Parts: sequence; C-alpha cells; structure tokens
Amino acid sequence: MSKILQTRRQLLQTIAFAGIAGTAVGKFPGIAYAADGATLKIQFERELDSLDPGYFVGGSPPCDVNWALMPALVHYGRGGGWIPSPHVESVVARDATHIDFTLRKGMMWTNGFGEVTTEDVAYSYDREAVSEWKGDYVAYDHVEIKDKYSGTIVLNQPFAPFMNTTLASGTGIIICKKAVEAAGGKFTTEQPASCGPYLIAEHRPGQVLKLRSNPEWNGAKPAYENIDCLFVTESSAAALAYEAGELDIAKVSADTYARYLKEIPANSSLTVAGALQYMWMGMNTDHPKLKDIRVRQAIQHAVDASAVVQGAYSGTAEQSYGVVCPGLTGRRDKAGYSYDPTKAKALLEEAGVSGLKLTLRTLNNQERMLTAQIIQANLAAIGVTVEIIPLDGGPFWDMGQEKKGDTWKELELWIMRYSSGPDPYEPFQWFVRGQVGVWNWERWSSDEFEDLFAKGVAETDTGKREAIYTRMQEIMDETGAYVYLTHEPEVFIHKSSLSPHFSPTAEMIVGAFKEA
Amino acid sequence: MWSYLLKRILLSVLIVFLAILALFITLHSIPGDPISIALGPRATPEIQAEYAARMHLDKPLYHQFVIFIGNVLKGDLGNDLFSNRSVLLILSEQLPYTIVLAVTAIGWSALIGIPLGCLSAVKPNSLLDKITGIVSVGTIAIPSFLVSIWAILIFSVGLKWLPVIGAGEPGDFGDQIYHLILPAFAVGLGWVGYLARMVRASMLEVMSENYIRSANAFGLKSRTIIFKYALKVAILPTITLIGVGFGALLSGTVFAEIIFSRPGIGKIIYNMVLARNFPVIQGAVLITIGMYVIVTLIADLAVSWLDPRVRDTL
Repeated sequence: MSKILQTRRQLLQTIAFAGIAGTAVGKFPGIAYAADGATLKIQFERELDSLDPGYFVGGSPPCDVNWALMPALVHYGRGGGWIPSPHVESVVARDATHIDFTLRKGMMWTNGFGEVTTEDVAYSYDREAVSEWKGDYVAYDHVEIKDKYSGTIVLNQPFAPFMNTTLASGTGIIICKKAVEAAGGKFTTEQPASCGPYLIAEHRPGQVLKLRSNPEWNGAKPAYENIDCLFVTESSAAALAYEAGELDIAKVSADTYARYLKEIPANSSLTVAGALQYMWMGMNTDHPKLKDIRVRQAIQHAVDASAVVQGAYSGTAEQSYGVVCPGLTGRRDKAGYSYDPTKAKALLEEAGVSGLKLTLRTLNNQERMLTAQIIQANLAAIGVTVEIIPLDGGPFWDMGQEKKGDTWKELELWIMRYSSGPDPYEPFQWFVRGQVGVWNWERWSSDEFEDLFAKGVAETDTGKREAIYTRMQEIMDETGAYVYLTHEPEVFIHKSSLSPHFSPTAEMIVGAFKEA
Repeated sequence: MWSYLLKRILLSVLIVFLAILALFITLHSIPGDPISIALGPRATPEIQAEYAARMHLDKPLYHQFVIFIGNVLKGDLGNDLFSNRSVLLILSEQLPYTIVLAVTAIGWSALIGIPLGCLSAVKPNSLLDKITGIVSVGTIAIPSFLVSIWAILIFSVGLKWLPVIGAGEPGDFGDQIYHLILPAFAVGLGWVGYLARMVRASMLEVMSENYIRSANAFGLKSRTIIFKYALKVAILPTITLIGVGFGALLSGTVFAEIIFSRPGIGKIIYNMVLARNFPVIQGAVLITIGMYVIVTLIADLAVSWLDPRVRDTL
C-alpha cells in the first residue's frame, strides 16, 4: 500500500474527494471556445436597440444583423459595389430614374405571413421615405407595383448613389407589411416577421444575440449553423477575448492593430474593412482671430498630418488629403497645401499677426487628444499658442450648432471626424450652404460648390464625377478652413479559417461569412 | 431596539429622497442637449418634439422632478428610450449579476482578510505579520483594473483556464461560477488588504483591553479569548466597513463588468450615461442607492445587535 493512502479512512476520503472533484469538473464546462462545432462567435460593439429600419433612433441602422434576417433587393458584394440579393430574380436600372426588380417566388416570411411581395417593398420604402432616415430617400418617389413579384422603383430625379447608399444599406431593408401593421406599425428588437438565412433564437440584452439558421429559408444554406453575437463594447476587452479564444472575429483599435502588425496571434488574419472615416481640423472662418485667410493658410501649412498618423495612430491610419475617403471616386493623393512651417511663419508675418492664442476643442479620447497635442506642438513652432479643450460627446456635438447655444461664436479650432458612406457625394452634403451653423461649422459657402454638389449627385459618369469631386475639394482647400488629418481604417482580427464579409462602411455582413 | 430601528428606517428614507434629488439635478446639469445626443443628428424636428414630450423635457425642471417622484412611488421607472423595454425589467435582469459579483468578491475577501488580520494581531511584528502587512498594502495599492487585465493575460490568454467574457449560460450554475472567478478575484483582491488591516488594528486595540488581560489571568485558552471575546468586539468596525464596501461595490463593479463584458448595473449606468438614456440611468442609480441604504442599514443593525450601546446614538 502506498504511503499516501495508509488507512481505509484515508482511501475513502480520497475516493470521495475525487468523486466531488470529478462531478465539479464535469459540471464546469471548458471555456466556450469560439468556432466550437458549428457556432461562430463574433463581437458586437454595441447593444441591439432596435431592428426596425424606420424607427432606429441615433447612430446608424443595425444592418449587420438585419442583413442576415431580412430581405433586401441588393446587397454589398465581396468585390465592392452592389449585387442582387438572394431574394430577387433580377434588379436592373432601366434608366437614370427607373429601377426594375423581380422578387423570387416562394421567399416566405416567418410566423405565417406568406411570401415576400412587391407590396412589402413599396410599404418598406414609402415608410422609410418619411422616417428619420428620409435623407437616404431624397430621390425616391414611389414603387410601381406590376404584380405580386415585380415592380419598378421610380426616382424623382437622377441619383447616382441610390443603389449603393440607399438600397444596399441598412435603410434598404424590406419589412413585412402585414406583420408590421399587425404589430402596431413599428417594432424594436422583436421582429414580427423575418425572411433570411438566420433567425433570432435568443437575445439576452447586454450579453448575447444568438442567431440560428432558418429552417424555412430556401436560399443558399449559410456556412455556419449558429452565430453567437457577443456584446463586447470595449475594443481592448474584445482583443483579449479573441486572444483567449473566445471570439472568432473582433474589431481592433489603432494601438492593438499596430501591435498585431508586429506580432499577430497564431492562426489569425487581419482584415481592413474600409477606411471611410475622415478626420480634419476645422477653423471658424467667421471668428475675428481667423477671419484673415492668411492666418488660416498659415495654420494649414504648420500642421504635419504625417506626424499625426505616426504619433496618434502608430502609423495605422492613412493620411488624408481631402474629405473623399480611400477607394472612392475623387480621392486625392495631395492636398492644396503642404507642410511648410517656413511658409506658415511668412504668412503670419504678412498678416501682421504675432502672439496669436487659439483654442482647440476635441473629443476626449486617446487618439484625438494625442492628435491635439501634436497640432499644439506644430503651431507652437510658428509662434501660435494653442489651448486644448477636451470635451465629452454632449457639449462637443452641440458646439457648432446655432440652435444649441452660443458656443459656435467662440469656436476657433476643433478636431472633427465624420463617417462617409460608399459614395463620394456623402461627405460633401455636410458642407453645403444649408449646413452653415448646423454641421458646416467652418461657416463658409460658395455658389460654385453648391452647383457642383447638385451636378455630382445626378452624374453617373465616373470620370465626370471624379472631376466634380476633385474640384469641390479644391474649393474647400481654398477656404483655408481645413487641415485634413487621417482616414482611420476599420480593422478586424479573425481566425484564418474564416472569410468574413463587410459592407463598405465596415459593418459585418454575418449572413455571408464563410470558411476560408 | 425598535425605536432605533424606526429612526434608522426614517433616516434611510430621507437619504434616498435627497439622493434622488441630487441625482436629478446632476443629470440635468450635464452639458449637452439630451435630445440631440439621444436621437443623433438625423432626427427630424417632429421626432425631437415627440421625444421631448415623452420624456417631459418640455416641462420645467421642478415639474419633471414631481413627475419622476410620482412615478417612482407607483413603481414605474419608465421605459428604455431605444428598445422601449421597461426599465424595471431591464434592471431586474441586470441587478442579480451585480449582486452576485459584489457578494462573491466581498465574501472571499472577508474569508481571507479577517483571519489574516487576526493572525497578524495575535503575533504582532512576527514574520507572518510583516508578510501580511506587505501583501495587504500591495493589494490595496494595485488598481483593480490592472488586476483584471493581468488576471486575464495570465489565466485566460496564457493558460486558457478561465473565460474572459460573459456571465455564463443561464441555468448552468457551473458555467456561471466559472465565469465569476476572475471578476470576483479582481474586484475582491483590494478588499483582502483593507479587511486585514482593519481587523488587525481593531484586534490590537481590543487585545490591550483590561477584560482581555483578565481573561488571560484566569487562564482561558487563547483561542477562546481571541474568537469568543476579542474578535466579537474587534469585528464591529469591520462589519460597518463591509456594509459600506458592499454598497460601494454595487456601482464600483463597473470596471469589471466592462473589462469582462459582464451584464450588471455598473455597466448599464456607464453605457446609458454615454447615450443620455435618462430613464435607465435614473432607475439604475435609484436601485443602487436603495441597495446601498439597505445594506448600510443591515450593517448598522448588526452592529447595534452586537453592541447595544450604539442604539443610543444615530
């Protein structure tokens, strides 16, 4: 007998302990490792507040889930641009204002609401055209219903981005007329009917949304039977969860991206899903200190945007030369000014300005604060003293709006970042005359800019659009009110065995995920 | 005892009322237009007006406060602005996770910290006392979020023993415990040091009292003296500390709930403040205040039960 078990009592005690331990181990599951069987585990950055494309308040529409659950006429293809969705036989732009479509027969709504019909399409778009997302439907007039499955979308004016920015986006989702009306006209996270490759099996707010493949779906079978969408709001927590094997795909921040570029976890890949964000430093052209264009031009020449890319974004962002983002028509590789501190000093001298003191307002997150500090150092080098004012989102987003107080009058410099859609017209809409005091905080306007904006929206020839949007950025340069800084990429880390798919605005199209 | 209980309950009600008033004023003093923050830049004037009416934001502040208090008394905390779910339902889903985390964290730290403090006090200036002192100060000094990150890096990313995110599957007790280990460790570690230091200081004071010397003189066993006579008195400030600490943990678990992506009251307050989702913030803070007051009341009653002299004070 071994010395460890010298008595019968000790032997019994050991067996009993082993039994309890075994039971406990059996009770404790192993870590729920991602890609466990047929379940894909993905990170969702924010809580699911509403799935109703007509009544989604704040932020962007929740298309990453809706695309897996609901019909649409077109989807974003893997090669860029739009493709017909699995719900249609065909979608054809007959001319600049008519789009013919034919739905596939037998695409069934859940909960016994019958087939997806042309009436559902008309109901969905009519509803969207009067919602808070009506901006996407500015050119939409109506749907001509030919029969149960086919119809024509009629536009009230030529609108080149309609397919990409309206029909393929989250606002192009089709909902079931009968079901939504039966539900009282709107819904939040409990869809009255769906028709897509997945169904919502469980939603635990703040924790997980479980998608399971739809047994009634008669389109192509999705690559994964089950998808668990875990709500992880902090990107660094998501990166740690990914490294621990609890997620198959997670969005990464700039600093984590830089770390992964040096050493990526085993069996992992990085995908840059787009860089449709544009960040710039704006100047208030109405402010007495900045009224003289030479002062604004001096500031343009004094800021080294490449230092911002390196210092604040660890080299992971692209340097910006305008508001058109990489990959879009009109993207430039050079701005109308260059980093030239000597010229900046000369311009200040010419303007007779010395000892200039300015305030620079920014959101108080890490990258923006670093950016502000770099700009502060750049401007100090030409004799301009900058006081950085970090702000919470509340006061920050109000400060240039005339309806929200008087801060716009004292606004001098600020760091701003907007998101663009997949069409170059989108960034320009915020700088037209009607936006002065709303989102055009630089407070300038130009007849030529207004004219070009209208032409660009209606133009379908890519070459002509390129010329229009290039000229519009030149006009913005000439105001002296912009220092273009970065285009931040949207980066995801994922298992190498996974081939994810994203919209141009970097939302995950989970229904189209497949094995690599 | 009954008179003391009544006075404490009345005081608790007053505290809750004042806290609600402070919360209300603070929330409405946050810079930024709550309508534009909540609805985003695309909201039409009609949607903004509908929101303002629904939230009573179009009424004077005192009127809003009266409406809020009236609804609270009716048990109606309103609905989430975005999902339209009942705030009470949302909080009832989240609160158990926070309570379990706080109880587990304070529980395990008390189990370790109190005996450590006793041992240190019984053998002052011994090697054990010195080691305990260093460990205690160390655990107090290390920020909890740092403990969380290191714990994740070691036990989850490195060893892959413990999970990082979530709270486990509902109904699966083992899975829930499994997901609780790291957060409870991270939240409770600092309390080990606090409790050990508090118990040590109290015990040293009590051990020098005359009645302890008398007990020694009568030849009572040292174990009896420590656990039956000394600890019973020395534990009083510790009970108060645990009560206050538990209350603080109800909102202080926010870092663990964010880092470990656990549901809970702290995380919901954090997210909802960013979104200016006032009904949920008000409801969550109200529940936290209520819990804090209840736990403090229980701690005070426990102390008054152990030491009847405190019943004469309030």
